[in-house]
Amino acid sequence: MRTLGVLVRKEFHATFTSPVAWVVCAVYLLVAGYTFSLSLFFSKVANLTYIFHQIYILLVLLVPVITMRAFAEERKADTLELLLTAPIREIWIVLAKYLSAMVLVGGLLVLSFSYAVVLLLYGEPDMAPITGGYLALFLLASLLVAVGTFWSSVTENQVVAASASLGTFLMLWFSDSVAYLLPAPADLFFVNLSILGHFTPFVSGSLFLSDAGFFLTGTLLALFLTARALSDR
Amino acid sequence: MVVLDHVTKRYGSFTAVRDVSLTVEAGEILGLLGPNGSGKTTLIRMLTGYHSPSEGRLSVAGFDTVRQPLEARRRIGYVPESHPSYSHMRVSEFLRFMALLRGVPPSAVPAAVGETVESLRLGEVLSKPIHTLSRGYRQRVAIAQALVHSPDVLVLDEPTNGLDPRQIIETRHLIRGLAGRRTVIMTSHILGEIARTVDRVAILLRGGLLTVRSMADTPDLEALFLSLA
Repeated sequence: MRTLGVLVRKEFHATFTSPVAWVVCAVYLLVAGYTFSLSLFFSKVANLTYIFHQIYILLVLLVPVITMRAFAEERKADTLELLLTAPIREIWIVLAKYLSAMVLVGGLLVLSFSYAVVLLLYGEPDMAPITGGYLALFLLASLLVAVGTFWSSVTENQVVAASASLGTFLMLWFSDSVAYLLPAPADLFFVNLSILGHFTPFVSGSLFLSDAGFFLTGTLLALFLTARALSDR
Repeated sequence: MVVLDHVTKRYGSFTAVRDVSLTVEAGEILGLLGPNGSGKTTLIRMLTGYHSPSEGRLSVAGFDTVRQPLEARRRIGYVPESHPSYSHMRVSEFLRFMALLRGVPPSAVPAAVGETVESLRLGEVLSKPIHTLSRGYRQRVAIAQALVHSPDVLVLDEPTNGLDPRQIIETRHLIRGLAGRRTVIMTSHILGEIARTVDRVAILLRGGLLTVRSMADTPDLEALFLSLA
C-alpha cells in the first residue's frame, strides 16, 4: 500500500508539471461553463441533462489526451524498465497510473458540481437525475481512463495511444447503431456494449445495477489487460 | 551470489541467449563482453527480472528471479544502457522516489540518499532538475538510483556509453571502488574498458557463452577475443 502511495505521488507530480493537464482543465471548464451558461440562460429550466451529455462528449475527447502519456511516455524514456525491475508488482504500477488519472478527471467533475449548486440556489431542481448523472459521469470516467491506460501500455507512441483510445470510445459509443444491422443474438450483444445506452438511464434518474455493473466490469477488465500487457514482456 | 543455470531466451524462432551457465561470487566484478547483438543486454534483463528466461534458471542471493521475483529484485541495483531517469524531477526527489520504490523504510530514506549522494559526489546538483544536468552527471544520478537501497548486486549495462574520457575514467574508478563490497556485473563491447575494470570476463557471441576468464590470467584480452570471435 505504501508503494502505491509513492507511485501515485510520483504520477501527480508528473501530471501537474506537464502543461497537458492544465490545458485539458482549461478546455473542459471553458466548454462546460459556456454550455451551462447558454443552456440555463435560454431554457431557464433547472436540470443538467444537457450538461451531462456535453460532459460525456468532453470526456470521450479529453480522456485519451490525459491517459496517452501514462505508459507510452515511460516506455519512450526507458523509465518503464526502472519501474518493472523494482521490487513491486505490475498491478501497483497500473493502479497508480489509473488512480492519478482518475483524480484529475474526478477533480474536473467535482468542479462541475458548481452547476448543481447554482441550480439549487436559484431553482428547485429534481435531484434524482442530477445525482444519477454525476454517478454516471464518474462510472464513465472510470471506464474511459482504464481503457485509455490500457492502450498506453501497448505502445511507446502517445499519438497512437490517444488515437486507439478515441477509436475504442467511439466504437463503444456507436455500437448500438451497428446492432440494428446485425442478426440476433449479435444485435443484443452490441446494444449492451453501448456506453451511451448504459449512461442515459442514469441521467434520467433511473439507476440500474446492470448499468453500473457494465462500467465497473469494463474498468476491471481493462486494468487486468493492462497488467497482463506489462507482465507479458 | 548470482547463478545462471542453462539460461536460454527465445523471441519466436530467434534465440537471443543460448544455454548460458555462469556463477558470480560475492564482491566480484564480472564483465560481459561481446559485440552488439551478442545477447549481453538480454542476459542482464533476465537477471533483473525485466525478461523471463525461456529455459533455465537464474538466482540472485539464492532467490529465483522467476519464482521469487520481488525478493531477487530487492537485492539488485540496475542501470539500463540509456541511463534513464525522470527528467522533470530534481535529483533529490528522484533518489528519494527510487529509495522508497526499492523498499527503503521512509525513516531511513534521508540517510540512504545522503550516503549515496556523498559517495557519488552529487551534492552540488542535488536540488537541480535532472534535465538541466550534463550527461556525466545524469549518468552518475542513474548509478546513484541503483545504489540508494544498498543492493548486494549492481548491474550496469554499457555504463560508459556516450561519456567523455574524463567521465569514463571516473566511472571506472567508481566501479572499482565497489569491488569487495558489492557484486558488480557490467556489460561492454569495449575491450579496453572491460580489461581495466573487471576481475573476470565472460565473452558472449551470437547468444552463446564462449569462455569465462580471470583478468589476472588474461594478459592480452584482445588476442583472446580475436581467437574466439
